[in-house]
Amino acid sequence: MNEEHIRARFEILILPLMNDAYNLARWLMRSPQDAEDMVQESYLRAFKFFNSFHEGTNPKAWLLRIVRNTCYTALAGREKKRREVPLEEEANEIPDTSASPLTTLSKQATVEAVRAAVAELDVDFREAIVLRELEGLSYKEISEVTCVPIGTVMSRLSRGRNHLALILFDRRTVDQL
Amino acid sequence: MNCQECRDFIDPFVDSELGPGDAIRVQQHVDSCADCRNYLRSREALRVLLGNPQLKFEIPEALPGKVSTRIRLLSSPAKERVVRKYSTRWVYVPLALAASILLLFSLLLLNKNDRFEPLNTHSLVDEVVASHVRSMLASHLLDVPSTDQHTVKPWFDGKLKFAPPVQDFADNGFRLIGGRLDYLDGQEVAALVYQRNKHIINVFLWPAESGANESPRSFSRYGYNVIQWARDGFNWWAVSDVSAADLEGFADLERRG
Repeated sequence: MNEEHIRARFEILILPLMNDAYNLARWLMRSPQDAEDMVQESYLRAFKFFNSFHEGTNPKAWLLRIVRNTCYTALAGREKKRREVPLEEEANEIPDTSASPLTTLSKQATVEAVRAAVAELDVDFREAIVLRELEGLSYKEISEVTCVPIGTVMSRLSRGRNHLALILFDRRTVDQL
Repeated sequence: MNCQECRDFIDPFVDSELGPGDAIRVQQHVDSCADCRNYLRSREALRVLLGNPQLKFEIPEALPGKVSTRIRLLSSPAKERVVRKYSTRWVYVPLALAASILLLFSLLLLNKNDRFEPLNTHSLVDEVVASHVRSMLASHLLDVPSTDQHTVKPWFDGKLKFAPPVQDFADNGFRLIGGRLDYLDGQEVAALVYQRNKHIINVFLWPAESGANESPRSFSRYGYNVIQWARDGFNWWAVSDVSAADLEGFADLERRG
């Protein structure tokens, strides 16, 4: 397979998935600029490693795994820096958890509330939720992307959803359901 | 199925990841258990909320273009390099052929004109001119670019079996610009490079066998002037496209030291 052919194949299979790549990066990095950087870096890496992409591989899972690893590398570097930040500055970063009951929210406000709730999850749960609910990946695909067994995927989804339910549905709403 | 089992299976159940047998058992349990039914409803409500396509972040408009460009850049430089390498190679073949033929004819013609010179001098003059031309063509004029004779002279130490005398004649309009190693008459020689206005003068020198002083002899080849002499145990060859008078003036400076 010549170089031209490889690039054409990459453009057909991988480039159209950029929206998904951006979405995952955006959820993991929690910043638009970082997400853009991660997508660019991930795509360059994906192109370099494209010879490791074999027929029958799920292109979306293959790409998202690269995106996920790229983001984790960046986050790990940042975490190291963050630990050097004085404690009182860190305290300011704790997000506001006072979400309003959904029943009273407008549609747009609902979207914002759900986004805030998902953003609040620990990154392990967050990525499982995003891959499952927003990207529609199967448990097997999520396990491929996140490099953990299917059992772990299942328990992360379960705990993530429990947490979201706690934030999004106040006691009354849950009881009413 | 008890409640705990049902809760464990509820997520794969809503995600359609359960086998049909387990799915039926979960369904039967929630049909008969109000708590677990509520739990399932909560999950289904969550699913509705998270299923909103608006939750997905929209990719910035410019990003796909940026990424494609970077990928094309990543894959194209290598290709361009290969193409350039081949094109240079093939361009040089006819050039080299033409140059060889021209040189051959010139040699035959000039051999007739200067037929009284000894043959080995002939070939050496050609070699000196060829060396000069080569130094101008390739980016190999200087190994040690320096206008300082005290930099150029020590540079040759250890690279040659002899220590060539290096002098700058900038005051007389011949500026030393550096030196390099070259190969002439079957041996390594020192090449000193001078500049006269925009012209380059190559001076080749290596130890003379006889050690006797020789008066300057002038030659002309393909528009280049060459002067050869021997002094202080060195063979000196100066070659340039400056006028014969300029080159003689330069040779005089070198010979006086």
